Amino acid sequence: MFVQVTAAASASAADAGSAEFYNESVLPILEARCFECHGPDSKLKGGLFLGNRDGILTGGESGPAVDPDAPEDSLFLDAINYGSYEMPPDGKLPDNEIEALTAWVKAGASIPEDSELERPELDHTNPATLVTEETKNYWAFRPVANPNVPPVKNSTWPVTPIDNFILNKLESATLSPSSPAAKQQLIRRAYYDLTGLPPTIDDITSFVNDKSDRAFEKVIDRLLDSPQYGERWGRHWLDLVRFAESNSYERDGTKPFIWRYRDYVIKSFNEDKPYTQFIREQIAGDEFEPPTPDSIVATGYYRLGIWDDEPVSQKQALYDDLDDILLTTSQVFLGLTMNCARCHDHKIDPIPQKDYYSFLAFFSGFKRYGVRGHDSVKNNSIGPIAVNQDDRKRNDSRQAMDRELGEQDRKINQVNRRLNELMTPPEKEDFKAVEVRVDIARKYSGKGLSKKLVSEYATAVQRRKEILDTRPPEVAQALIIKEVGKTPRDTFILVRGNANVEGAEVEPAFPSVLSPPEPVIKTPTMTDSSGRRTALANWIASEKNQLTARVMVNRIWQHHFGRGIVNSSNNFGNIGDKPTHPELLDWLSTRFMQSGWKLKSMHKLIMLSNTYQMSSQASEKELAADPANNLYWRFNMRRLSSEELRDSVHAVNGRLNLKMGGPSIYPVIPQEVFAGQSRPGAGWGNSSEEERARRAVYIFIKRSLVEPLMADFDFADVDSTCPVRFVTTQPTQALSLLNSEFMNRQAAIFAEFLKKEAGPDSAKQVALGLRRATQRQPTKPEIDRGVGLINSLKADGVPEDIATKYYCLTLFNLNEFLYLD
Amino acid sequence: MTESNFCGRTRREFLWQTGAGFTGTALAGMFSEDGFLDNQAVAADGQTAWTNPLAPKKPHHDPQATSVIFLYMYGGPSHIDTFDYKPKMKGMDNKTIDVKTFGRGGHRNQGRIVEPRWNFKQYGECGKWVSDLFPHKAEMVDDIAFLHSMTADSPIHGSAMLMMNSGKILSGSPCLGSWTTYGLGSENQNLPGFVVMLDPRGGPISGAKNWSCGYMPASYQATIMRAQGTPILNLAPPAGMTSETQQKLLATLDQYNKEHQKARQDNTELAARIANYELAFRMQTAAPEATDISQETAATQEMYGLNGEKSGTFGKQCLLARRLVERGVRFVQIYSGGNHNDANWDAHGDLQHNHNLHAAETDKPIAGLLKDLKQRGLLKNTLIVWGGEFGRQPTAEYAKGTGRDHNSYGFTMWMAGGGIKGGTSVGTTDELGSKAVENRYHVKNLHATILNQLGFDPNKLSYFYDGLEQRLVGVEGAEPIKQIIA
Repeated sequence: MFVQVTAAASASAADAGSAEFYNESVLPILEARCFECHGPDSKLKGGLFLGNRDGILTGGESGPAVDPDAPEDSLFLDAINYGSYEMPPDGKLPDNEIEALTAWVKAGASIPEDSELERPELDHTNPATLVTEETKNYWAFRPVANPNVPPVKNSTWPVTPIDNFILNKLESATLSPSSPAAKQQLIRRAYYDLTGLPPTIDDITSFVNDKSDRAFEKVIDRLLDSPQYGERWGRHWLDLVRFAESNSYERDGTKPFIWRYRDYVIKSFNEDKPYTQFIREQIAGDEFEPPTPDSIVATGYYRLGIWDDEPVSQKQALYDDLDDILLTTSQVFLGLTMNCARCHDHKIDPIPQKDYYSFLAFFSGFKRYGVRGHDSVKNNSIGPIAVNQDDRKRNDSRQAMDRELGEQDRKINQVNRRLNELMTPPEKEDFKAVEVRVDIARKYSGKGLSKKLVSEYATAVQRRKEILDTRPPEVAQALIIKEVGKTPRDTFILVRGNANVEGAEVEPAFPSVLSPPEPVIKTPTMTDSSGRRTALANWIASEKNQLTARVMVNRIWQHHFGRGIVNSSNNFGNIGDKPTHPELLDWLSTRFMQSGWKLKSMHKLIMLSNTYQMSSQASEKELAADPANNLYWRFNMRRLSSEELRDSVHAVNGRLNLKMGGPSIYPVIPQEVFAGQSRPGAGWGNSSEEERARRAVYIFIKRSLVEPLMADFDFADVDSTCPVRFVTTQPTQALSLLNSEFMNRQAAIFAEFLKKEAGPDSAKQVALGLRRATQRQPTKPEIDRGVGLINSLKADGVPEDIATKYYCLTLFNLNEFLYLD
Repeated sequence: MTESNFCGRTRREFLWQTGAGFTGTALAGMFSEDGFLDNQAVAADGQTAWTNPLAPKKPHHDPQATSVIFLYMYGGPSHIDTFDYKPKMKGMDNKTIDVKTFGRGGHRNQGRIVEPRWNFKQYGECGKWVSDLFPHKAEMVDDIAFLHSMTADSPIHGSAMLMMNSGKILSGSPCLGSWTTYGLGSENQNLPGFVVMLDPRGGPISGAKNWSCGYMPASYQATIMRAQGTPILNLAPPAGMTSETQQKLLATLDQYNKEHQKARQDNTELAARIANYELAFRMQTAAPEATDISQETAATQEMYGLNGEKSGTFGKQCLLARRLVERGVRFVQIYSGGNHNDANWDAHGDLQHNHNLHAAETDKPIAGLLKDLKQRGLLKNTLIVWGGEFGRQPTAEYAKGTGRDHNSYGFTMWMAGGGIKGGTSVGTTDELGSKAVENRYHVKNLHATILNQLGFDPNKLSYFYDGLEQRLVGVEGAEPIKQIIA
């Protein structure tokens, strides 16, 4: 990197403008120090080309490098002097080089014509990324169609139009659908699918014995009505919105009251709330006029993400938080990766950077979760679930009185502590009665306690009683969004995503490729916010929106079949997967909207199809032709999710506690896992064994401490939206199911249960155990195998109870326990 | 659309994929090099053939290093008191000077100098100046490349540790060890591919976030290994269960599972799960064997400082690290320091007390590790990385005392083995060590160097997630530090 600088920095202004000076004293420096990124063979970082005068005057994304009218203030000089920019980035130039360049710039930064270099041609602008009539015609950006149900040759197979769409494609590929699933398999599939829990033996028997045409429909209706439905399907939503109850980073502090959001989601699914209402509540529920308890709690949506309470730069952190919200909102509700356009135009989809910031402008009133520490969180993010003026008044008055109560208590306690030193033992005994305390204090007036203090004490005790007698009941609090006021911050395009480099100002607007309407923004009268989010919510929750219904219907399909019609369910853009059945997707989207955006009607529609009720058995021809089952010639097997696994263990051993809602539970975490925390055990609470047997959806989600069984079985990563969970197979899963304290404890409970229910006979215990674990009638050899294990262990001297426990442990490890056909 | 230009990268065939049940994203992982795609299946959908995500894979080019041991000095050791010699600070103690600093105490423009508290001497053929804190490591300078001009994006532990481990100050990205096992798989399936060992005083700030696999599947998550007791969580059968009992249980399980599999032969995931029980069983033997240091000679144990009052714990962890890489474990990270305050290198109060303690705990073990790897011929394939999330300021944090606040403007890390040029020093900080001035390098360059030594083009090793081809070195990319590559 050694640079020969011949001309000294003492060059006069006249010299510095000469061709000779440029060629001998400037160009060598530029070549050695700058051209790697800004030269004729570079990729022109930041869009800046320093090889000719036009490049220098035009500059890059941050503006002109040299301002001919005020060369001293040039960005170029600022950068080489390590001002707001630091160039070159790997170290400041030697002084003599800075002097030479400064002289040259001050003399006007002239470049002799012969030395002008050609700006490199960069191969950019993929036509797919421009907003044009052609890109607007991309399948996902077209209005939802209402396609005709296609004809099929085998007209006996379809029972719903869904089947026509599926069979039509199968027939084109000369493939046949699989046979129907056995009733036992079907009911097991349906139970897990809708509730995440296994059917009981009675459930199965009555279904198998019900020979009516409506037998399965009755099962579906019952499951959709059961509150466990919301716990299963609500959890899918919680994955999407990266629900967690702590903030990550050093303190990984708990998010107060956020469990109310989880309960809100479960309740919304159980109520079959129209999806459009669910959208509006989460995005702008605080701006409802009037709000409802649901719509207030729903805005906890904005508080679910990570939060750095000690960021390097508050400004950058604000934009990181906004990006997190924009990313989640655009991917979850719209299936668009708008987040890719934060630093530059989207490289794959027609989303200009301007659209990113115009979309961001809807959130520009957003107050960060907190600034630092608990009070700031309280001020920025916690509020009462107050639906009217009375509630708000009551809340204000209650909070004011609680604050005063605290002050009075401090005064009282100060005197109490002093009295404790003064009082005789019998007085201390008397002092336990609150009503005599002032009298006792008076005895010490002037004798250890000042008269003034005693008089204040009497007043404080009196005031305390008044407060307790008169304060209004508490208004429940929730973690919610708050805005900076009716006027949001101005929003600018940030050059290269840098919070400190503001470009053009933008106004709220929807992504242009969707040919959207202008947002209609009305300032709310009842809240101190801008009303922008209401405009956004209304546009998303609209039948005219090309993406909303498609994206949601695809998610419903995905969770029924284990894959979406569009496999990349958070990304409907160019880099996402193409829909396997685009017409079916549109047909379902139309039905969804026609149903009033009700999920339960969609579940039923899908589950009543023959497509859903097929067996998972492979057939040779179809397997060879379509191994990935893109055409749905059979149903896909699947493994239980981490929650289903844990809940099934409790369901099978009889301990499952179906209590719903409320603050989260804390399973026992092994000390070895706590050892990874800087303060082992910190931030993890305790729950009773009965509480720990509640459904896994109620487990406290701490970002830096994921419950190990959940983590081993592919629980969602909670820092970002999770559209599809992984399903890994790894030895730590086997170790955990075989050796963990949790599984061994549950196996012991299962063994006790079997003994109680089946009596002392091992064969009966084994038979019942198998029935409960697999939800089918076991065969004789299967029972014999279990009895064989127990007997063999007993012969080794293992006590019978323990041998049965080990058998129960075996049951929890069965592939059949963990996999659904 | 044209198949190019994805954040500046070529987009080849996208395996962003397929099968049901399985993760839209899992197969999305890809390398831009052809041929790598075959190895990417992490599928478990009952459709796509299951392949072991940890099966050994070939990187982009021939690797210099096949394993990494990252000696993480949690809290941030002071560079000017260890390896970054600042003779001009001599005699400047307590002088108030103008210097820009940024630490947990915020931005300051002035401070009171705390002169380095240890003497420096020259060592080795390269004549490296090393402070008296590290008399043992000093003997190994000819094998070490020092990076004196490191910079990071944050001077705050939480975000700075995430940066050092995952390349980003935002929570949620996979860490270096996950990238390594994602890229290379593991040589020994009976042991975890990515191991973390913690300080007995506690984990680091943010705990498991530091060894998280982020948006990658759990196959690439770290396994915590303990130097005492059962090395891995759930490795030992429950109390009272003998090996014979367990084998009988596993045999019965196997019979049930194979019967269940008969009608489902096409689902390779079921077979994988059956095989995993054998693997788990073997791991129950392999891991205790790997961690049984009674197989080591007294001389070896002594070399690692196992008998030292202070160095015993870290020494044992270093020795375990050697035994693990010997057995094909890809990535081992050991934390020196845990918990808070002086239980790690975070010397805000009494600099001497703090650094004397942590140096005494780690100096001999680290020197022993280098020597031992070298004498066994393992150093050439094992990349050693030493450092913390940042360095420390030249000035005092408080009106009194020697405590130094955090410094991410300039600090020192070093690397050795795995194709690194020993006896070199790269980059400089200013005369006070307040900031890097020459040949400045970012944490991303360090990561790029590690990946390069492992055989990767750091700008091509990528994983598709959130609509972006994510890389450890970020979308903008970063170059390896060529001056230290042999």
